[in-house]
Amino acid sequence: MPLIRKPAGSSSPPSRDPVSVRTALTSGTDDERWAAARAAPDMPEGVDALGDALATEHSTRVREAIFTSLARICTARSVERVVPYLRSDDASLRTGALDALRAMKTVVGPYLPRLLHDEDADIRLLACELARNLPSEEATRLLCGLLDSERESNVCSGAVEVLAEVGGREALPVLERCADRFRGTAFLEFSIRITVDRIRAQSSPPRE
Amino acid sequence: MSELPAITEEELRRLCDFLYRRTGMVFTEAKRYYVERRVFERMAATGSGTFASYFARLRSDAEGEVEYFVNAFTVNETYFYREDHQLRCLTAELLADRLRLKGQEHAIRIWSVPCSTGEEPYSIAIWLLENWPMVDKYEIEIVGSDIDTGVLERARSGVFGKRALMRLSPYLVEKYFAPAGFETWKILDDLRNSVRFSRVNIVEPAETRPHGQFDVIFCRNVLIYFDDASRRVAAENLYENLAPGGYICLGHSESMSRITPLFEVRRFADAIVYQRTVGEPHG
Amino acid sequence: MAEEAKKRVMVVDDAALVRLYYRDTLEHAGFHVDEALNGLEALEKLLTAPVALLIVDINMPQMDGLTFVDAVRRREMPLASTPALITSTEGGAQDFAAARAAGANFYLVKPVTRERLLEVTAMLCGTAA
Repeated sequence: MPLIRKPAGSSSPPSRDPVSVRTALTSGTDDERWAAARAAPDMPEGVDALGDALATEHSTRVREAIFTSLARICTARSVERVVPYLRSDDASLRTGALDALRAMKTVVGPYLPRLLHDEDADIRLLACELARNLPSEEATRLLCGLLDSERESNVCSGAVEVLAEVGGREALPVLERCADRFRGTAFLEFSIRITVDRIRAQSSPPRE
Repeated sequence: MSELPAITEEELRRLCDFLYRRTGMVFTEAKRYYVERRVFERMAATGSGTFASYFARLRSDAEGEVEYFVNAFTVNETYFYREDHQLRCLTAELLADRLRLKGQEHAIRIWSVPCSTGEEPYSIAIWLLENWPMVDKYEIEIVGSDIDTGVLERARSGVFGKRALMRLSPYLVEKYFAPAGFETWKILDDLRNSVRFSRVNIVEPAETRPHGQFDVIFCRNVLIYFDDASRRVAAENLYENLAPGGYICLGHSESMSRITPLFEVRRFADAIVYQRTVGEPHG
Repeated sequence: MAEEAKKRVMVVDDAALVRLYYRDTLEHAGFHVDEALNGLEALEKLLTAPVALLIVDINMPQMDGLTFVDAVRRREMPLASTPALITSTEGGAQDFAAARAAGANFYLVKPVTRERLLEVTAMLCGTAA
């Protein structure tokens, strides 16, 4: 019988010494840095060691592991260490940061009002996506707040895209005003029309 | 008796858009009737009076609602030779590939996780014995793991009913099982003793790491239901448990595209599988 | 037009309304449209059904559009030579340069009009607009 059964193995746990984890995060092989990134949440000051390592890490796999660990830590501090990477010129860093923030939906909420009114339109646009992970009423409120003062059509489109999923009736007047301001911008007009139709077509509750 | 709430087309589209984004599953017009029916079922089961309140529940994945909803559309019943196209891929392509890379000396290691009541790991064993011409030339180690100790106990006992065996030919049942009561069979001891079962929570690296590295991992219908952070950690754990060049197979309606970029997708005649490439993924 | 004769394009964008808008536009012009929400899904689908053109956003979950185009260019032929049009809100010089470096064939800054999308799609697919 070629099938064999071996006893359960054991593996030595990775090093738990805080100094070596911080060093291991920025030196050694890809595999060593990856292992260090994964172990970091269990270390004191792991969040800052991870945040710092992001600045110099070039391996996509290790970066992913750093972002995953920051998401696991899931504190205000880990949000603060990730947010700056939304501004990166490197598309994969922006993606990594946004995905990590998506995974931190329980703590990212308080940061959204500021991000949704950031002076950089790219940040406002990415922040719309983060609003998607909030309860519908809160997301609608935040996105409507953005829409009434937003000048960039792409950011409006980003907000409308999320409102297509979460928007309640209270969003209708805001959407109509937005459509008025951006007459002639074909995609935004299209998006608003679809979203308005979706919000209007909400079913009524069954009779008692 | 209360009326069934009407659900509008736009509401269904909202729901389908959400599920596509979250799971990668596409619900076409053809499936509309089934989606609507499932919504009614889940609204009733969760006491949601309106579509809006149900959708809020689904969006927040309260009490694992996404899994409950999607369950109706995936084959979640476990039986022998389920998704046998992946077993065909295993013997037709994956094992040859692994052996080309690692040579002759090492055992082939295969992990079924979650293994539930054992149908999957035992299926792999039987399939290999029946379908792999090289089966006598190599040592093959099959491990089945699950978070639920109850199902593990049943897996170890190797006792199965008629439904579990429904895809096996009478020849295979006779060859590998012994009758053990009314419409009950027990897998032969030789086979039963050759699969190791263990308890594991795949989100915990301390629990997954000791299992070592595998050539092929079957991880079906569990990753997609974890929250964002847990999904990523579990994927990283499984990556660690995969030998460089090794393969991981997901459930039929699952895709790594909603889980992690760590693995590279490979298409074979019988199945789409994912590979831990040697070196950087997609590099 | 018979289904087999239609040129196949894939829209890769995580915004459902963008995919809808492009699908609407392109189907009316006789193209067959596939969709993917991110680069990983697109790669997977491409293995089953090659396309004449990829229309790709940059900011998407799991795998951004530039990493995706680069990954396509590293695969086996003929998949590797699939034309790729980037359509993105990102419109800076460094984004154009990055797109070129990743192997994109063309770049349109959002918002994209229906006419421009059709014009560029037709050009990159080698069909009359």
